[in-house]
Amino acid sequence: MIGLEWAKISSYGFFRVILILTLSLFLLTVFVFSRIDISLPGFTWRNLFRFPDIWPSFAWVASWFNLLLAILVITIAGNEFTGRTLRQQIMTGLSREEWLAGKGILIIGLALFGVVMVSIAGFVFGFIYTRELSLGTIFSNMDILLVYMVQAIGYMVLGMLFITVLRSNTLAIILYLLYFIMIEPIIRGLCPVEVRPWFPVKIISHLTPFPEVLKVTSGEALDNSNMTFENIGLMPRQLEDSTTTIMALVYILVFAILTYLAVKKKDL
Amino acid sequence: MILETFKLSKSYGTIQAADDVSLEVEKGTAFGLLGPNGSGKTTTLGIIMSVLKPERGSFKWFGKEPEPSVYKRIGSLVEVPNFFNYLSLRRNLEIVARIRGTGDSDIKRVLDLTGLRNRSSSRYDTLSLGMKQRLALASIIMGNPEVLVLDEPANSLDPEGIAEVRKIIMEQKEQGKTIIMASHILDEVEKVCSHVAILKKGKTLASGRVNELLVTDDILVIDSGNNELLKKGLLEKGLVKKAELRDNILEVIPSSGVSSGIINAYAAEKDINVNQLYIKKSTLEEQFLELVKE
Repeated sequence: MIGLEWAKISSYGFFRVILILTLSLFLLTVFVFSRIDISLPGFTWRNLFRFPDIWPSFAWVASWFNLLLAILVITIAGNEFTGRTLRQQIMTGLSREEWLAGKGILIIGLALFGVVMVSIAGFVFGFIYTRELSLGTIFSNMDILLVYMVQAIGYMVLGMLFITVLRSNTLAIILYLLYFIMIEPIIRGLCPVEVRPWFPVKIISHLTPFPEVLKVTSGEALDNSNMTFENIGLMPRQLEDSTTTIMALVYILVFAILTYLAVKKKDL
Repeated sequence: MILETFKLSKSYGTIQAADDVSLEVEKGTAFGLLGPNGSGKTTTLGIIMSVLKPERGSFKWFGKEPEPSVYKRIGSLVEVPNFFNYLSLRRNLEIVARIRGTGDSDIKRVLDLTGLRNRSSSRYDTLSLGMKQRLALASIIMGNPEVLVLDEPANSLDPEGIAEVRKIIMEQKEQGKTIIMASHILDEVEKVCSHVAILKKGKTLASGRVNELLVTDDILVIDSGNNELLKKGLLEKGLVKKAELRDNILEVIPSSGVSSGIINAYAAEKDINVNQLYIKKSTLEEQFLELVKE
């Protein structure tokens, strides 16, 4: 299945463009941020680029570009619907489950690409800006990369659900973006406060939360304090990290099942 | 039995695309699906190739319930060729080979067979329609499948292309492959197929061997001094099953046991001068049009 999927996408120009764009935008963003040198008494911006805080910082920045990866998945899968190559592959002997497995491999591959991108950039910037290196500080917090991978998979699986149901690249991309930017936020806003954190986009996007800039940049000064954005009212209350991750996995499973049913039950 | 369908039915809104279509295709036969546009040929092929879901009915390939691996034994071209636009011919065929599990060794053979070897590195979207159709044929004979399912294989081709495609199909037929072919080009069905089913509005109107369907009534073509009167008289007398005037020429299908001599004698008895009388073999096209007309 890996060979089949690779044969399909390796020569696809849009695939290369999106990967290069994701990589370039991510590196450009972290590079530009790294050039900012704000040092006020008690606050050092560069702490965001030092081990171990670099991992959540970079995972958060990389999460901005998950939408690009999701659009890529929508386009690749959508082309197979609109160009009817999926139909031809099924007639050639590929099962619908195998086709979905191929797309699963693609999604995992793209998520791994993101993880590798963040890892390499993290190590490079971390080694440049960290003064006191130790194995403990380098690898501490690195588990956020796994969570980032789950997040990237979540974005892309939701994209797969949109394209398998809608079967039009344009419509799927527009509705997907609208769902992220408008539809779910509006629905959330209409719901009671305690329900709001449980919505899928909210859960998945919160896997890599906005870094606690106050704590990180202040170094040890606020390290053990409770001064977080949530506690001082700058950000709404969120679920526990473990709850968020479990719920994200549940949502990914639900999206995958719905995608499977949409491919299995409908005509091609 | 290669393929059996049992009362396949499918509708799109109020349109009944397939209505209780039951077919039996034996090994080694060339089976034609004939019908005007919208008769349900493509829908039937889509169902048996598992890309469309039937509302009712079932089908078996090789005597078994259909499963994806079955389709690796079948080469199919339903509607237009569908390949990855941005990939070369060779890469597209590699994808087919990977799905079929045949390896890449067969690619050269099918490219040679379809005359596409020189274009193997060209992108699919740079090909002419005829070449796309030839690539489709190349892909369906990859791995030497036992059955070929073809939907209008000569569609949109020029006469040279039609001849080339037909040659490839005939070669496959001679190799003993089972061919299931939907077409509205009756000449093609007549030349390629041994069996035929005629569809109209999703229903099977007739099915059987082509030569059996062809051996029906001969048509008597008559040009007389008073064709109208002769037509009326022959029908009233029950000497003909059917009589029609076409361009002032009378075409009749005699009743059982009625020869051209009896009809000639009847005309003489009624003082109708017969200028011309000859027997015309009914072609599949005429029978097809007869069957499918309102």
